[in-house]
Amino acid sequence: MNEDTKTLLSLYEPKEQKVIKNDRQLFGAYFSPCGRFLVSGDYEARIRRWDISLGTPQELTALEGHNGWPQAMAFHPTDHSLLFTADSWGQIRCWPFDQENPQANWTIENAHDGWVRMLAVSPDGKLLASCGYDKMVCLWSTTDGKKLAEFSDHGEDVFCVAFHLDGKSLVSGDMKGKVKQWDLAQRKCIREFDASILFTEHRLQEVGGVRCFAFSPDGKTLAVGGTKPKNGGNVQGDPTILLFDWKTGKEQKSLTLGKSGDVYVYDIQFHPDGFMIVAISGGPGIGKFLYQRPEDEEPFFITTKMSNCHSVSLHPDGYRIAVTATNRGSNGNGRRLDKDGEYLGNTSPVHLFELPKPLGYPASPPPLPENKTS
Amino acid sequence: MSDSKLCKPWEHKISRRQMLGHVAGTSAGAMGLGALGGLVHPAVAEEIKKKDKQVLFVWIDGGMSQLESWDPKPTTQFGGPFRAIPTSVSGIHISELLPKTAQQMHHLAIVRSLCTKDNSHSAGVARIQRGDPKNRGVTYPYFGSAVAKLMGPGKSNLPPYIWIKPGSGGFMFKDAGFLGPKYGALAFGDGKPPENLTLHESLTEVEDDQRNALREKANRRYARRRRKQSSEANSYVYDMARTLMKREDLFDTTTFDPKDIERYGTHEFGRHMLQARKMLEAGVRFVKVNSYGWDTHGDNFNGHRSLMPRYDQAFAAMIEDLAESGMLEHVLVVSLSEFGRTPRINGHVGRDHWPEAWSTVMAGCGIKRGVVVGKTNAKGTFVDSDEHDIGNMFHTWFKALDIDPFTVEYDNSGQPLPIAHDEMFAIEELVG
Repeated sequence: MNEDTKTLLSLYEPKEQKVIKNDRQLFGAYFSPCGRFLVSGDYEARIRRWDISLGTPQELTALEGHNGWPQAMAFHPTDHSLLFTADSWGQIRCWPFDQENPQANWTIENAHDGWVRMLAVSPDGKLLASCGYDKMVCLWSTTDGKKLAEFSDHGEDVFCVAFHLDGKSLVSGDMKGKVKQWDLAQRKCIREFDASILFTEHRLQEVGGVRCFAFSPDGKTLAVGGTKPKNGGNVQGDPTILLFDWKTGKEQKSLTLGKSGDVYVYDIQFHPDGFMIVAISGGPGIGKFLYQRPEDEEPFFITTKMSNCHSVSLHPDGYRIAVTATNRGSNGNGRRLDKDGEYLGNTSPVHLFELPKPLGYPASPPPLPENKTS
Repeated sequence: MSDSKLCKPWEHKISRRQMLGHVAGTSAGAMGLGALGGLVHPAVAEEIKKKDKQVLFVWIDGGMSQLESWDPKPTTQFGGPFRAIPTSVSGIHISELLPKTAQQMHHLAIVRSLCTKDNSHSAGVARIQRGDPKNRGVTYPYFGSAVAKLMGPGKSNLPPYIWIKPGSGGFMFKDAGFLGPKYGALAFGDGKPPENLTLHESLTEVEDDQRNALREKANRRYARRRRKQSSEANSYVYDMARTLMKREDLFDTTTFDPKDIERYGTHEFGRHMLQARKMLEAGVRFVKVNSYGWDTHGDNFNGHRSLMPRYDQAFAAMIEDLAESGMLEHVLVVSLSEFGRTPRINGHVGRDHWPEAWSTVMAGCGIKRGVVVGKTNAKGTFVDSDEHDIGNMFHTWFKALDIDPFTVEYDNSGQPLPIAHDEMFAIEELVG
């Protein structure tokens, strides 16, 4: 291990502190901007919440009312009481999620025709972006859910949306690896990035797609995650992150973060200090949680102890990370019953890590930024 | 007492034992054992051969997920992201991934209660396509070979068992099992004709007839010292080739209406289904079309998100065309895999193999239309009605083809063998 890596690990190496077990599979648990909650959609149409402000995470009442898979989720960046969720039947909701038994502020039943893949909120908190299986990218008012714009240019299933930090642009990425930049003032596509290496056709199947985005803290780099797919069916492919220079639009680098059994980069989040925190999920049992600096060829931290990592979330205090994984032994042909003869489902343990804190860091965390309503 | 809808043995007018006893006591029966294609009752065999019924067998290799197709369970623990949509039959819903097929539901019958034994591809594919009869130490024929044997080529005299498949073609003699290689599948890779189908430009038709006469003379000499089955198969392949040489039009895709090409889809499955329709229109007895790549252990939902619409497009177009032309009256359509997929979703967001509770769909030849037979429980994990094995399906399909599995048997060099599992019965709700 070289000195550079030793230094990095001394600053950032995560240590697992606890695991939140639950009874269903989750899409990805994320810390709220206020830092008090972890929230995730589950496979049975509920929004699950945990209060982590006390020593032991306490699960709160689940939010009900969605259908199918409520996979997409985004927090309001300044009004820390608001959460936006969307499901695979096309519904979008706005919740005052920090209440004990919240009712949705507003609901759009048929925001999309079918699966809403991702949500994102603009830095100023005014716009909500959504994208989905119906090939549409839409903009909504966060205040009342009014539709402000829709873009149909992709022509493909759209998997990802994200706002640039300057709030002037939105990016969206689709199944065939097209990434489009939308100018929010002009409300039109002004540029495309080529991530088509993240897609292939195999037999009758379309495989791959742009699965996640992240902008670097300085806004100069766009990281696009997915896989370089080899085949469909039991999908195999090399987990890959493409780094694009935001100014020129050119691809700076392609990072291959594993072998064909490792498959998908599911989630990327940039640490404020500039490295990427990455979740990778491949064949059943195969998962990676790693740190990768854009300028490096190899990660400076990696663990493969968790099965099938589907999300990463950095706590607003910068010293905690939540990784959503899947239980071991999640696959198998034929029946597997529990001791009561019931058919067993799988679950998604949420692993909570702590990062090293500097000397003098208070024993109880410092107060977080004030909740500013928009 | 069970209120099962399956036919009961005493509903049949004559038992297998009675039939065997009758035939064994007559010289006509003794002749029938060898003379008329190895079926026990010669008169029955002749009647079957006169039928003009045909079969389209759509084989989805790898295991189509019943939860993303015929038996959705939306907003349940294992239901996945997709919605269920209404169909042209009130009260019947299928996955939103089959919008076009939903409009053809009034022609279709879905069986949601399949419960079979094998969760492996390597054994399961053959077991399902052979009907998984009782083990009698012989290799049973695939359904296509069985129909080729039982019903012959029909008036078209075209090869009775044709397989339009991705990849390479050839003669798939193993499908025939104990029936002998003659009843194997003639496979056209990517629907293309065999190489050298066109008569070489240096040869005239007269010359071709002359060389064929020489070949037949050599064959007769060859056959005198060989097993009948081998010499028959050898000769049959050449005879088939000559028949196909006169029907090059079967492979001419330029004659397809552009509207049909668009309706079926320009992808591989669409092209192959459109060509299958042409084969059926030409009178081919049994046409198999398959699609590979459905073994979605990983990324199952995005996989089915692109697989199902392509299947839907071509399958719905075929049903619509067969119905409109009246061909659905005498063409049995079956769509099947080797098993379904697990309700449990694994860490690769995939589904694994699940023979415990899965679905098949069929239409035509008098199969009841617009019906669902059987059901699974609320989570889709297990069958919650009478379970049906593949043997029940074979009984049902043979009955639809006017072949009674209780009066028709194979003769395997003197060993009488039932054509379907002898302890199973046709599903009355489908063919009663």
